[in-house]
Amino acid sequence: MLEIKNLHAKIVEEDKPILKGVNLTVPTGEVHAIMGPNGSGKSTLAYVLAGRSDYEVTEGDILWNGKSILEMTPDERAAEGVFLAFQYPMEIPGVAGLTFLRTALNSIRRKRGEAELTTPEFMKLVREKGSQLHIDIEMLKRPVNVGFSGGEKKRSEILQMALLEPTLCVLDETDSGLDIDALGVVSDGVNALRSPDRAMLVITHYQRLLNHIVPDRVHVLANGVIQRSGDKELALELERSGYAEYRAA
Amino acid sequence: MNLAIMKTKAEQALVESFQTVAGSLPGGSDVQRVRREAAERFEVLGLPHRRIEEWKYTDLRQILKDVLPPRVNDATELTIPDVIVALGPLGSLDAHRIVFVNGAYRAKLSTPGSLDGLEFSPLATQLADGESHTVKLTRTTGPADEDATLALNTAFMSDGAVLSIRPGAELSKPVVVVHVRAGREPHAATMRHVIEVGAGARATIVEAFVSLPGVVDEGQINTASEVVVHEQSRVTHVKCAVDQGDVAHLSNWIVRIGREADYRGFQQTQGLALARNQIFVAFDGEDAKLDLSGAVLGRGTNHIDTTLFVDHTHPGCESRELFKYILDDNARGIFQGKIMVKRAAQQTDGKQMAQALMLSPDTEFDSKPELEIFADDVACGHGSTVAEIDEDLLFYCASRGIPEAQARALLTEAFIAEAIEMVRDEPVAQALTDWARSWLNAA
Repeated sequence: MLEIKNLHAKIVEEDKPILKGVNLTVPTGEVHAIMGPNGSGKSTLAYVLAGRSDYEVTEGDILWNGKSILEMTPDERAAEGVFLAFQYPMEIPGVAGLTFLRTALNSIRRKRGEAELTTPEFMKLVREKGSQLHIDIEMLKRPVNVGFSGGEKKRSEILQMALLEPTLCVLDETDSGLDIDALGVVSDGVNALRSPDRAMLVITHYQRLLNHIVPDRVHVLANGVIQRSGDKELALELERSGYAEYRAA
Repeated sequence: MNLAIMKTKAEQALVESFQTVAGSLPGGSDVQRVRREAAERFEVLGLPHRRIEEWKYTDLRQILKDVLPPRVNDATELTIPDVIVALGPLGSLDAHRIVFVNGAYRAKLSTPGSLDGLEFSPLATQLADGESHTVKLTRTTGPADEDATLALNTAFMSDGAVLSIRPGAELSKPVVVVHVRAGREPHAATMRHVIEVGAGARATIVEAFVSLPGVVDEGQINTASEVVVHEQSRVTHVKCAVDQGDVAHLSNWIVRIGREADYRGFQQTQGLALARNQIFVAFDGEDAKLDLSGAVLGRGTNHIDTTLFVDHTHPGCESRELFKYILDDNARGIFQGKIMVKRAAQQTDGKQMAQALMLSPDTEFDSKPELEIFADDVACGHGSTVAEIDEDLLFYCASRGIPEAQARALLTEAFIAEAIEMVRDEPVAQALTDWARSWLNAA
């Protein structure tokens, strides 16, 4: 279970608070959506969960399965099962996708006390997970995300997620930059990972994504706090009325 | 201008040591004359210093305080396994191997493989036999002619590889010309290679400058390669200099590229206290392709300088340069790339890039691209970047479970890999990557 308690955060070296007391609980096995206007702190929340050092938590706590993750480095959090699918996946020139995936997977396995995968085991796993996302091995021989289209980058993020098998998935605007077809492929990939052992936090501007990845709960984040929570109907309501009433807050 | 500037101790020592060893260096009277002329040229030029534009960042007069005694007819005992150890990752390469130890050819350690369209003989033998062709080639003309390091090379050259690849021949494996620094006595070695690739031939030639574990800390190497690449040939030419300790490495490549030939040069330099790598390229015909690239890895107080001069004199030629530097501690990297496009060299296509990755705030990178264009229908560009490791990328890797130290190593290796990728021979490229990796892991 993810428990975010009275979370306050800001950018390091800046005074302006961005998160001003977020309270949120996501039980394992559920998918929660976070919606909200631009600048409401959605991406900040995602980065703070993953442990990005540009952000400083000034108050509150984040518990994952009862354990505070605030003092953990990003790689330690990853080993604890935390995964952030980036809004803008990064390009890594010179590092082949397969090398990157294998390095990541084996790092996590080592930290979990599991044996590293052999090359045949790894390749079998990549082929299997990749085919579900329409990603072939040739694409993964190229440097990570370099020259990929928006859709390819997002599929590559979900492939990483499928391989690393995290237990807490944070998806930051995974629908941005996707056409209808790509949205379908990516959503299918995410839905395939829905499981009673996994919690997901899906961050999005638009209700559209939530037709594909149907959430158990929807929360509205605006002005650094959760303003309202409801079931999936809340997303439809927001689609009709917009965020106007929350901006004022 | 007063030419009679006071000589430094090192300059004086070089002049004196030439007088001492000249009689025991290989070559008949023709060669002796060439040597003497070069020594006299050096006496006039002296060691290059910062007031000479091309030497602004590498003031040899300042840096080179002591001159080590030149080694002639070295007889240090070495075995083939020794050579393989010294060669590191290049040791397991399937190659024709030509081995020099402390400046002298060792037939017993070499496997030149003459069956393959490759002809080899040691320079010392050729000079002693008065081979007019070789003697002529060791007397360069052009921009390298006024270079003091090359003058010293010509004066002191003790041995080297004279390689000839027959026209149309396609070498089945690379030629590795190895120079091993060995023994406990500090000395200077001077090597001169003469490489000729016949029309339409294909070859990969690797020069490796390495040392035996336990070798004396101090060493000085002056090496020069004269390379003539005839028309329509395709050549990959690599130099890999890996050493530790207090080693000064002065290097010149003088390359001529024939019509429609395709020449790729690559230089990897790691762990040298002082390196000056000069590359002079001229074109002998139209529509030739030149690709020069390099990987420099420096830490401690390493000072590694690459200075290029590419002279476009014929139309339709292409030149590409990509040099990457990884600098740590107080290391200093220098890149000077001068591309000259003469009036006749229309449709020249030139692109140059020099990039440094700084792993410590105390490193220095001096980059000086120079384009001089006299033709009006050309496409030429250059760029230079200096950066630290991208924090965003580190975070991206960490968020996938890769610990910071490992992520840094991964990203650093990726940076240098883009240069090593330019080496067309896959096993050679792999060996160079492994060598760079061992340097990175030794941090």
